[in-house]
Amino acid sequence: MAQPKPNKVFAPWDDPDAKPIIQFKNVTKRFGDFTAIDNLTLDIYPQEFFALLGPSGCGKTTLMRMLGGFETPTEGTILLDGVDIGPVPPNERPVNMMFQSYALFPHLSVWDNIAFGLKRSNMPKDQIGERVERMLKLTQLGKFAKRKPHQISGGQRQRVALARSLAKAPKLLLLDEPLGALDKKLRNETQFELMDIQETTGTTFVIVTHDQEEAMTVASRVAVMVDGNLAQVATPDQIYEAPSSTYVADFIGDVNIIEGVVDLPDAEVPDGAVSIRWSPTEAPIIAMMDTALPTASACHFAIRPEKVSISTEKPEAKNVMSGKILDIAYLGNISTYHVEVAPGLIIKAQATNVRRLSRRNLTWDDHVYLSWTDTAGVVLTE
Amino acid sequence: MKLRRSFLIAVPYTWLLIFFLVPFGIVLKISFSDIALAIPPYTPTLKDGFWQMLSGLDLENYAFIGAGAVFALFAVVVISIAMFQIVYPRVRRALIPDARYGVFDSAAAALTTLAVALVNVALIVAVLGLLFPALKAFVDIPDFLYFAAYLSSLKIAIISTFLTLLIGYPIAYAMARAAEHWRPTLLMLVILPFWTSFLIRVYAWIGILSTEGYLNQFLLGVGIIGEPLAILNTPIAVYIGIVYTYLPFMVLPIYAALDKMDDSLVEAAEDLGCTALSAFWLVTAPLSKPGVIAGCFLVFIPTLGEFVIPSLLGGSNTVMIGKVLWEEFFNNRDWPVASAVAVILLLILIIPIVLFQRNQQEADQ
Amino acid sequence: MKNAYLLSGIAALALVAGSATAEEVRVYNWSDYIDEDLLAQFEEETGIDLIYDVFDSNEVLETKMLSGGSGYDVVVPSGTFLQRQIVAGAFQTLDQSQLSNAGNMWDVVSSRTEQYDPENAYSINYMWGTTGIGVNVGRVQEVLGEDAPIDSWDLVFDPANMEKLAECGVHFLDAPAEMIPAALNYIGEDPNSHDPDVIAKAADVFDAVRPFIQKFNSSAYINGLANGDICVAVGWSGDVLQARDRAAEADNGVEIAYNVPIEGAQMWFDQMAIPVDAPNVEGAHKFLNFIMDAQNMAAASNYVYYANGNLASQEHLIEDVIGDVAIYPDAATLDNLFTTTPYDARVQRVVTRLWTTVKSGQ
Repeated sequence: MAQPKPNKVFAPWDDPDAKPIIQFKNVTKRFGDFTAIDNLTLDIYPQEFFALLGPSGCGKTTLMRMLGGFETPTEGTILLDGVDIGPVPPNERPVNMMFQSYALFPHLSVWDNIAFGLKRSNMPKDQIGERVERMLKLTQLGKFAKRKPHQISGGQRQRVALARSLAKAPKLLLLDEPLGALDKKLRNETQFELMDIQETTGTTFVIVTHDQEEAMTVASRVAVMVDGNLAQVATPDQIYEAPSSTYVADFIGDVNIIEGVVDLPDAEVPDGAVSIRWSPTEAPIIAMMDTALPTASACHFAIRPEKVSISTEKPEAKNVMSGKILDIAYLGNISTYHVEVAPGLIIKAQATNVRRLSRRNLTWDDHVYLSWTDTAGVVLTE
Repeated sequence: MKLRRSFLIAVPYTWLLIFFLVPFGIVLKISFSDIALAIPPYTPTLKDGFWQMLSGLDLENYAFIGAGAVFALFAVVVISIAMFQIVYPRVRRALIPDARYGVFDSAAAALTTLAVALVNVALIVAVLGLLFPALKAFVDIPDFLYFAAYLSSLKIAIISTFLTLLIGYPIAYAMARAAEHWRPTLLMLVILPFWTSFLIRVYAWIGILSTEGYLNQFLLGVGIIGEPLAILNTPIAVYIGIVYTYLPFMVLPIYAALDKMDDSLVEAAEDLGCTALSAFWLVTAPLSKPGVIAGCFLVFIPTLGEFVIPSLLGGSNTVMIGKVLWEEFFNNRDWPVASAVAVILLLILIIPIVLFQRNQQEADQ
Repeated sequence: MKNAYLLSGIAALALVAGSATAEEVRVYNWSDYIDEDLLAQFEEETGIDLIYDVFDSNEVLETKMLSGGSGYDVVVPSGTFLQRQIVAGAFQTLDQSQLSNAGNMWDVVSSRTEQYDPENAYSINYMWGTTGIGVNVGRVQEVLGEDAPIDSWDLVFDPANMEKLAECGVHFLDAPAEMIPAALNYIGEDPNSHDPDVIAKAADVFDAVRPFIQKFNSSAYINGLANGDICVAVGWSGDVLQARDRAAEADNGVEIAYNVPIEGAQMWFDQMAIPVDAPNVEGAHKFLNFIMDAQNMAAASNYVYYANGNLASQEHLIEDVIGDVAIYPDAATLDNLFTTTPYDARVQRVVTRLWTTVKSGQ
C-alpha cells in the first residue's frame, strides 16, 4: 500500500543530485569462514542521522568499525567524500567514534579526556582550551571538568564521551550503542539531547543500536540489517508503515502477520486491491496494493495492532473478523487484546484507554469483532 | 558482640606479634649483644638475668658496620620522599592553585627536596655529634665494606629491576594481547618454572653459562664467537639469574593490569589521532603503571637481600648485603654483627615496602 | 586358627613397638664421607638404629653446635672448628674405658690433633688430608710449557704464571683459614701466625694475583676441574681426587693431578666428637669404637680415598690408597706439612675482613 511521502525538507536520499558523504560499494567482510557483511552497498548523506538497526550479530557493529578504520573490508570499497578510505588508518580519518563502553581514559580528567584528540592535532594550545570549554558547555559538563571518569555518573560519562568524540569536529561521528548503558528515563532525555547536538553541530551521525525505539526516535533514516545484509533502508515512518518484508515488519514494533494466497479477482474486490484467502471458511482479507499479484501466489498480510478496531457489535468495514478474547494486556495508556479468530490464529488489537475504566465491557472469553480498512495493512511477498 | 570483635581484631595482631615482632625483637636484642665463644655465641643472654642482660646491651655492632652513615643516607631518602610527596604539592598548590605541572617541574622539585634533605641531615648529624660525643663513632665509618655492600646491593637491585621490567613488560603485553583461548596456556608457561626448585633452576644456569656450557657451545658452533665468552662468575651472570628468577613476579602484575584494561581505550586513542606508538605511551603505559610499580617492588625487595644467586652465579667481586650477612653469621660466627646488618637491611627495605603499600592502596581506589 | 592369627598380629605389633623404642644413634657427618655398608654393619653388630645425616660445611655444623640442642650423638668438625667448639663448651670428654680400640690410633696424627684437642680428650681422628693444588695437567702445560711448576705454590701465587693461567680458569678455596696460612707460608712467614700485622702481609700475595682468579669457592671447583672448565684449583686433597676420578669416568680427555706443594701445605683433620647434650652417650661411644676398628676404618678410607689416623688400619688399605702420595704423603712431605690453630674473635674479624678485601677488592 502506498503511504504519502513524508513532507520533510531534509531528504537528500531522494535527490538524485545530492552527493553522499559515505558510500559502501559492494563491501564484504569475512572473519575466517564467517561472513559478517555480505556484498553491501549503501549511501549515507551529509548531516544525516543514520541508524544501523539489527539484532546482535547482524553485522551492524562491523559496518561501523569499518568506517572507524578498525576493520578493513575483505572486498569492495568504502568512499568518504568520494575518496577511498580503505588504506587510511583510524588516526588519520576525519571520523570519530563514541564507543559503547565510552572508553574514557580513566587516568585523565574530564577536561583532559575531551582535549585528548585536540592535543594530537596541530591546534594551538589556547584554541584547545577554548574548544574544550565549548564542548563542556554544549554537554553541560562545566562543573565536572576536573573530575576523573570514575567520579561522575553514567549519564555524565556518556556526555563526556560524546564531547570528546565531537571535539575534533569530525565530518562523521560514529556512535556505538551510545545509550545502551543508561536507564530508560535518562535514555529518553539523552536521545533528544543527541538530536539537538546533531542539529547544532551539523555533523553526520551514524548510530548503531539494537533498540528499535531509539533508532526510530533519533534517526533520519534507519537501515535494518539481518545476517550481513540490508533488509530495508528508509525513514522511520516508512520502515514502520511500509516494511519491505515480514522480517522488517516483525522486527519493528508489534505486528499481526497472516499467511494466505491471492484469491481470484471478483466483483467485490475494488481496483488496485487484492483479496487474500487465509481460511477456507472465512471471508478473504481485502487490502489495497500498488502492484498486482498473480492469482494463487503465496503472500503475507501484515497489520499493526493499533490499526485493528475491536467491538462487541459487528461493525461496517471492509474487513471484519470475529473471535474470542484470550488475553488482555493492560499497559495504562492502551490495552492490547489477544483475539483468537480461527483455531491457532491470534490477532492482536490495541485500543487507547480514552476514558478511565472504559471498555470494561470487554473481558476474557467475550465474543468480539475485529475490523480494519483496506488501507490499514500491507501485503508482503517476502 | 564487643568481645567477639576485639577477639577478631586480636587474631591478626597476635599473628603479627608471634611471627614477626618476637623474632625481630630477638634479632634486635642479639644485634646489641657482644660476640662470645659460648652456646649461644653471644653475650649477655637471659641466663644472666633480665636486668643484667639489658645493661649489657650496647650499640657497638652498629658502630662497627657504619650504621650511622646508612642511617644518615636513610634519613636523607625518607625526608626527600616525604617532602616531595607531601610538602611540595601543598606548597605548590598554595602558591599557584590552578597550575598543571609537567615532568620538568617534578624533576626540579625532586632535586631541590633532595638538596634540602641533605643539608638538613648534615646539620642534624653535626649538632648530634657536638651534643653527644659518643655518637661520633657512628658518623666515622670505620669500615666502608658494609656501606659499600648496601650500596652495591641497591645498585644490583635497581639495575635488575629495570632489566626485568624491560623484558617482562613486552611479555606481559604480548600475553594480554594474545587470543583469549591462548592466555591460560601462556600464563601457565610463565608460572610453570615455579614448579621446580629455585635452586635447581639456578644450577641449570651454571650449566648454560659456563665456559664449556651450552650457550658457549651453541655460539661457537654457529660461529658468532671464536672464543668462549666468560659469563659465569661475572655480574652479567648475576643479572641473568635474577632477571630469570624474578621475571614472573614482574610479568604477572603487569599482565593483570593490562588484562583488566578495556581494549577499546587503545582504539579510542587511535580514533582521536594517536599512532599505535603514541597510543601505547599515552594510554596503555599510564594504565599499566600500578602493575609496573607492583612488579618493580616485587622484584626489587627480594633482590636487595638476595644471597643465593650472587653466590652461585656471581664472581668474587659481587658484593651483596645478603652474602655479607651470611659470611658474618657462618664464617665469622658473629651473630651480633650479622643481626645488626639484618636490622639495618630491614630498615632500608621499609622505604620500598611503604611505597609499595601506598601504590596498592591507590590502585585499589 | 583364629588364635594363631591373633598371636601373630600381637607379635607384629610388638615388633613395631620394639623398633619405635629401640636405641638409636644419630650421626652427623660430611656428605660422601663413608662407605654405606659400614652403617648397616654397625646396626647389625650392635642392634642400634643408626640415623645418619650429612652436612657440607663446617660453618653449618658449627651453627648447629653453638645454637645447642642439635640432637646428634656424633658429629665430625674439622680441627680448628673443633677447638673453638670445645672452648665454647659444645662437647663432652670421651670415656676412654668404652673405647677399646683406642690403641689402634696413629701417633703421627694424634700428636698433631692434640693442638686442637689437648690429650685428645674430646675427639678421635676420622680422616685427614691436605690443602694443595689440583691441576688439569694438559691445559696447564699447554699454557705454561712442559716444565710448569705444578708442584709449587709458584703456580698460583706468582703473578707471571697466574696471568697466563687466567685464560683457562683458576679457582681458590673460599676459606680464609686455609688460604691465608698458605700465602704466609709461601712468603716465609709463620703460617699459624695470629698477629694481624703478619696476617696483613698475606693480602699482598693475593692482591698481586687477584685479577687472574676466576672465583673463590669451596665446592664448585670439583665439577670445574672434572669438566675442564677450569685448569687450576687450590683445593682439598680428597675433592681434587674426586674430580680426577670423575674426569676419568667421563673419559673426556681431562687429566687431573693433585700435588702437595714442595714449600709445604696445610694438614687438616676431621675429628669425631660427642656433643655435650648428646641423647645417647653410650651409643655414641659404641659408634666411635666401631669406627676405630682397624678393618672398619680401612673400609672407610678405601671407599672415600682419604687418609685416616688409624695405624692398625693401614695393613688393610688397598694399594690405590696407601700407595698414593697424594693421599698418604711420604715422610719428607709429611714433615713439610703444617697445621694451624683457630683465631680468636678479634683476629677472626680481621681475617674475614681481609678475606673480603681479597675477594672483592673492597
